[in-house]
Amino acid sequence: MKTILKLVSKDLLIFRKDKVALAITFLVPVVLIFIFGKVFGVDSSQSKIELGFVNESTSEIAKKLEKSLDTSNTFKLIKTYNNEKNEVVKYDTNTIKTAIKSGKFSSALIIPEDAYTDTSTALKLKLYYDPKNDIEMGITEGVLYQTIMKQLPEIFVKSMQRQAVGTLGQEKGIMFNNEIARTINKYYKIDTAEILNPNINFNPNSSDTQQSNIFQNILNLESEQLVGKDVANPMATRSVGGWAIMFLMFTITSYATSLFDEKKTGIMIRLLTTPATRTDVLWGKYIAFTTIGIIQLIALFIAGSILFDIQIFEHFFELLVIIIVSSMVCTSFGMFLSSICKTSGQATGLGTFLILTMSAIGGAWFPISLMPEYIRIFSKLTTVYWSIEAFLDVLWRKLDFIEVLPNVLVLLGITIVISTISVIKFRKSNLF
Amino acid sequence: MLKINNIKKQFPSVRALDGITLEIKEKEFFGLIGPNGAGKSTLINIIVGYLQMDEGYIEFNGKDIKELGISYKKKIGLVPQSIALYEDLNAIDNLKIFGSLFDIPKKELKEIINEKLNAVGLYERKKDLVKNYSGGMKRRLNLIAALLHRPEILLCDEPTVGVDPQSRNAIFSYLQDLNTSGTTIIYTTHYMEEAEKLCNRIGIIDYGKIIALGTLEELLNLLPPKKSIFFVKNGLTESKIEEFKKFGKISINNSKYKLEANDEFRFSEFFAALEENGIDERFIEIYKPNLETLFLNLTGRIFRD
Repeated sequence: MKTILKLVSKDLLIFRKDKVALAITFLVPVVLIFIFGKVFGVDSSQSKIELGFVNESTSEIAKKLEKSLDTSNTFKLIKTYNNEKNEVVKYDTNTIKTAIKSGKFSSALIIPEDAYTDTSTALKLKLYYDPKNDIEMGITEGVLYQTIMKQLPEIFVKSMQRQAVGTLGQEKGIMFNNEIARTINKYYKIDTAEILNPNINFNPNSSDTQQSNIFQNILNLESEQLVGKDVANPMATRSVGGWAIMFLMFTITSYATSLFDEKKTGIMIRLLTTPATRTDVLWGKYIAFTTIGIIQLIALFIAGSILFDIQIFEHFFELLVIIIVSSMVCTSFGMFLSSICKTSGQATGLGTFLILTMSAIGGAWFPISLMPEYIRIFSKLTTVYWSIEAFLDVLWRKLDFIEVLPNVLVLLGITIVISTISVIKFRKSNLF
Repeated sequence: MLKINNIKKQFPSVRALDGITLEIKEKEFFGLIGPNGAGKSTLINIIVGYLQMDEGYIEFNGKDIKELGISYKKKIGLVPQSIALYEDLNAIDNLKIFGSLFDIPKKELKEIINEKLNAVGLYERKKDLVKNYSGGMKRRLNLIAALLHRPEILLCDEPTVGVDPQSRNAIFSYLQDLNTSGTTIIYTTHYMEEAEKLCNRIGIIDYGKIIALGTLEELLNLLPPKKSIFFVKNGLTESKIEEFKKFGKISINNSKYKLEANDEFRFSEFFAALEENGIDERFIEIYKPNLETLFLNLTGRIFRD
């Protein structure tokens, strides 16, 4: 037992002395728990879902609904965009559909011109959506219903009365409504006048669930999926990009460790005594690892196509371009790691930490639309975010090359920036 | 052939080279010895262009190596201190990788590889993974990997560390042949007997400076001329030691009597005295000054690492 205890203390001592391992042990869980906490936590005021919004109706109800959604803790209404002349323009039904199709946001609520007229029996609304993420869509639909129900109960009472009149005729309908009002008055002691002419300041919080159940049939919320309708396996198609890029980054981290291994074994000095220069060695490795990344991603997508029916051949050229730039950006990440770390252990540790963090905040595990806005800013600084968006553009939104180009350019930009920093760091240091 | 002029190199915490000036002549087998951290590897790394020097310059055949660039790199070969090979590849693949970087035509490279593998006794194992080689085999492969482009100068940074006597002798013999056939060799080592055996000229480096330079004979002449003779301590020598006081000063040194010969010492008289006192020559060790003595004399006995 004494021997075992001595061996235990030996390993604990080694662990304690390994600063990188120590940092990773505590940093990774803290960062991840922070992100999970922010995503699934209670602080919804900081993580509003972006909802496209067009109000074509002039009715009071529509104005009231818009105001309710505007002040909602769940949604951030997107009503305008900047056109080519950089002018602020209001979205209409067509432009907002285009915005969803191009991935600017996932859903949009339209209040049509005839949303609620004097003769309407139901409030008519239209929801356009891109179900690229189940969690986000579930929350959007649920909260949208809840918000409408909570804020506008009085129109539904009116609607029920109008439906009774419409079904039974004017005379019988009025009699029916009066009878219902008397019955409610008898058992629940609510003034019949109040039931027949609902108060505009009706307090919806009294019995949310009951009201929701009653009013659900009266809200005519027509949903239309704009993106991914003809995708054979939506779940796999939507998630494949995120997972692919995460695994690719882990593979490419070996770029960094291989540089250190070559330095440690003396291979680096041997290579540098040949006509090869430091730059040659660096770019030789860069191209080799980018190629490995490309092959790995192509293999992954072909496997996805065979096993999960992911449609890769429909826009294969665009997919290939994204695969190439994603591999380039991941290899740049590996190169960057090796330029800022001093040992292979440091590179592996820091790499693991950064990959997990970038995957979490970049949207590989859960939608960034559910994250607080300040985290979303960091999301857009990650290679994971842009790669996922690029893969979604091709596989899910089925966009053409020109439409995919902005994401490609962003990825190329990140590649150039990271690679330049790395090369400068390499030149300044005696790293190898 | 190679002129090293006033090279200085400062690392954050230590001055590694402090004005090294040295000339390596063509076809020379030059030994560079020094304690750990003396600056040997730094100097080698600067000569091969792996490290930048802070001050000074190096000329190869009268031209600055910085100006020569790649053409200089093609003239030099380095055998690194560590086994600088890809362990998961076989010998042929390793040699192909390093040889191809010198733009040697494929066919010629193949012939050179076979020739070199044969020369160091690895031809039969050429398709084995390097990780399955013994330490000696790896060292031999490490050596020939630096020779594929037939360099004019070969720099060997402690190339025999951790090898068995057979492999060491094979490496010595190979290097001597190479030197005889015209390759200039710069050889760093911790083993003084290696430098004594192989090198025409030796430089001793310490604290970033060349503190002694010359042939073995020239260097040994730097030592005081006094001879020392050791008597193994036993009953006989103990009783007779007083008889030898006339030859010099006697002291006890590590269970031996040490006789430091005086100026009048003559070997003929000394051996006669041995015979007279019945002391067998087996109990006598005559100290002969060697490179190690000089090395310790110059660099001291304090640990350097």
